Amino acid sequence: MTAALALLLAPLFSGSVKWLKARLTQRQGLSPLMEYRNLAKLWRKVWIRPHTTTPVFLLGPILALLGTVGALVLLPVLPGPAFKGDFLLALYLLGLGRFFQMLAALDAGSSFGAQGSYREGVVTVLAEPGTLMAIAGAILLGDGFSLSGLPELGVENSLVLLLALASLALALLAEGARMPVDDPTTHLELTMVHEAQVLDHSGPLLALYELAGSLKMLFYAGLMALLLPGFKPLVFLGVVVAWVLALAYLETYGVKLRYLRLPDFLSYNTLFGVLALLGAVWRF
Amino acid sequence: MSPLWTFLPLGLAVVSAGTPWRFRGLSLSVGLAGLAWVALGGMGWASGWGAPYLYLLLLGALTLGLAPYLPAYLALHPREAHLYALLIPLFLASMAGVALTSPGFGFLFLWEGMALLGYFLIALEGPNALAGARAFFLASRLSGAGLYLAFLGHAHLGADWVWAGLLLGFGVKAALFPFHTWLPQAHPVAISPVSALLSGAMTKLGLLGLYQSQHWFGPPPPWVGWVLLLLGLSGAVYALVRGLGEEDLKGALAYSSVENLGLMLSALGAYFLKPIPLLLGAFFLHQVAHALFKGLLFLGAGTLAERRISHLGGLFRKAPELGALALWGMVAGAGLPPGPVFLAEWQLYQGLLQGPFLVPLAAGALALVGALALYFYVRLFGLAFLGLPRGEVEVYRSQGMHLGLGVLAGLLLLLALAPGLVLEPLGVRTYPNWVLLTLLGVLAGAFYRGLLRRPMRVYGTWDCGFHPLTPRMQPNGLGFAEPALRLFPFLRLQVGERPHLEEPLAEVYPGMGHLYARLAALVQTLQSGSLHLYLLLQLLTLVVVLGVVLL
Repeated sequence: MTAALALLLAPLFSGSVKWLKARLTQRQGLSPLMEYRNLAKLWRKVWIRPHTTTPVFLLGPILALLGTVGALVLLPVLPGPAFKGDFLLALYLLGLGRFFQMLAALDAGSSFGAQGSYREGVVTVLAEPGTLMAIAGAILLGDGFSLSGLPELGVENSLVLLLALASLALALLAEGARMPVDDPTTHLELTMVHEAQVLDHSGPLLALYELAGSLKMLFYAGLMALLLPGFKPLVFLGVVVAWVLALAYLETYGVKLRYLRLPDFLSYNTLFGVLALLGAVWRF
Repeated sequence: MSPLWTFLPLGLAVVSAGTPWRFRGLSLSVGLAGLAWVALGGMGWASGWGAPYLYLLLLGALTLGLAPYLPAYLALHPREAHLYALLIPLFLASMAGVALTSPGFGFLFLWEGMALLGYFLIALEGPNALAGARAFFLASRLSGAGLYLAFLGHAHLGADWVWAGLLLGFGVKAALFPFHTWLPQAHPVAISPVSALLSGAMTKLGLLGLYQSQHWFGPPPPWVGWVLLLLGLSGAVYALVRGLGEEDLKGALAYSSVENLGLMLSALGAYFLKPIPLLLGAFFLHQVAHALFKGLLFLGAGTLAERRISHLGGLFRKAPELGALALWGMVAGAGLPPGPVFLAEWQLYQGLLQGPFLVPLAAGALALVGALALYFYVRLFGLAFLGLPRGEVEVYRSQGMHLGLGVLAGLLLLLALAPGLVLEPLGVRTYPNWVLLTLLGVLAGAFYRGLLRRPMRVYGTWDCGFHPLTPRMQPNGLGFAEPALRLFPFLRLQVGERPHLEEPLAEVYPGMGHLYARLAALVQTLQSGSLHLYLLLQLLTLVVVLGVVLL
């Protein structure tokens, strides 16, 4: 259910960020709905298969999408399957997609793909522990050890949940390949992380990647929505709108961090995660 | 019914080593022994006879994969083949024997015999294997010393001393953190089937011993759990980071073994601190899964003539069947969802999060291990199997080798579909993994066919419009890992003309060797050959003995 909603919303989400960024820099900008037409166009196009490639080149975009959709299926914004420990499966399904995306980037045999691949690896190594600890902290406060039993922000659990929300926000920027970590609009080899990996994919393969990219951000937004009080689908929409505004602002007025400064930035993610888990264990 | 009858085929194997049809005889009898162990172990584990039977099942499954593989592989090593054909069945028998005996002199005898056979199997590889074999030998001495302390002293010493001995004795075998360095030194130099056995099966005996010790010597004091948990997790992180810079394919796989064993040790440690069945499920399921996927990957590495990662590349197109099998092994090894290693980690996470005091924080370390493992296996598979070939690499193909790899991959798939085979007797349940696996497989297949039907053009990789791409433009093994290695300051990395990664813990075993030699030299001064000194020593001994007796 959640996955279907997210699939419908994802192109609108990335389209609106692009539109708002254009407006903030005094440009006209394409309609936010353009992204749907763009995906349809990409799906119909001829795609190019580099002559060095293997089936892994195709599996990259396929499993990047399937992994993200799988993670979204487990996210109970709208009712869906739930069981003990589903949050771990959701995070690791994202990991499965990332694994194949990194491999597919290496498959073309160029230095760009490989660069994107190892940078993605470094971002993962930096961001994963904090993210997991933040979610685990929230899960420990809730009941049932599952995403469907997550607690909502209130007075008594405010510290843990606020820390978890902060950690997830930083994770969204890192995992969604957004501004201080990665510049999604650039094609400069010094800075790109996500773009470098998808550079050799075209046509329908690129469409799958683009969809998977926006879906991944919606996954993190959905996780944050679960921690906020209110009617979940509405809260989810609210969080998404907030993220559109925040991302457009950040990417218009912010700069990309130097690659070597990433550990400093993402150490906050880890710190918040550790504190959230500590808070949950000691019941602050 | 005594389980000893399962050893009969191995006797046949040993006998057949001297006959002209030794390879066929070896394959057949080792396969029979594997089947017997799988049957007996499966039956014993399902009816609750205890952990040794699970170990028998694991060893049998690994042996089943080894049986068709061995003759084809040994045909490539004709000079030592008859010795291997003699030693490998004995080694298998000694491992199964260690698992089945109860503690006592028989156990110690088999344990030392297993260590000695392992040493021979490594040292057979020739002068290149000398350092590795020596490290293995010293490690087994250390392990033996710990076990003597525990087994001979448990009537006189307190539980603390006994468990310290057990930690040393079994922990060194299971590559407990600061003593793990023998493993990446010894395993890569042995021939591939032996590496698969050492890494897949022998190290598990240390884990089995630690688990069984609580039944033999009583429950461990709490510090044992903490030590296992902390050292296990630090070892896992350390091994992955160090392994990221490893150039040798089998060396990298050996570091990955240290990581996996670290996770199993931490599962056991957390179980000692708070007995949650989930942790036991993680402990046992991970062992079986690790034996299968590491066996698959080590045997797969054995089909390559070149093992330096920076000289491989593009193997998938050259040998697609090997590539597909290796991909499945590495997806499983990286701990990704449909694989059985993920199921084990999934239980470990939940067990740790329910643990006492600060144990839940260990989940963060586990997440770091997961992310590093992802990076680690992307590097191994991506640089070796994908991209442009960096050199001419010969791939040995034979039906027997492929059959062996296929058996292990199939068993791994079976474990992913039905983890209940291992978990049922423990009373642990997981989410329905077979649904996930089937759905992912069907959907990915549908998408794959759909994409291939879309109009497509085969073209060169985009090269920025400059000179055409060359294989040298791809990152090499150290280049791919460098950004991650910089994050971990305990490794010193030198880049430049001769890139080099230092192993800060490399001195553990040579240092121990020096210490042992110094001690021997000290004792040697007593053996001066002078009759006067010997008489003086005798007199002193008499005085001391009389003094002790009279006072």
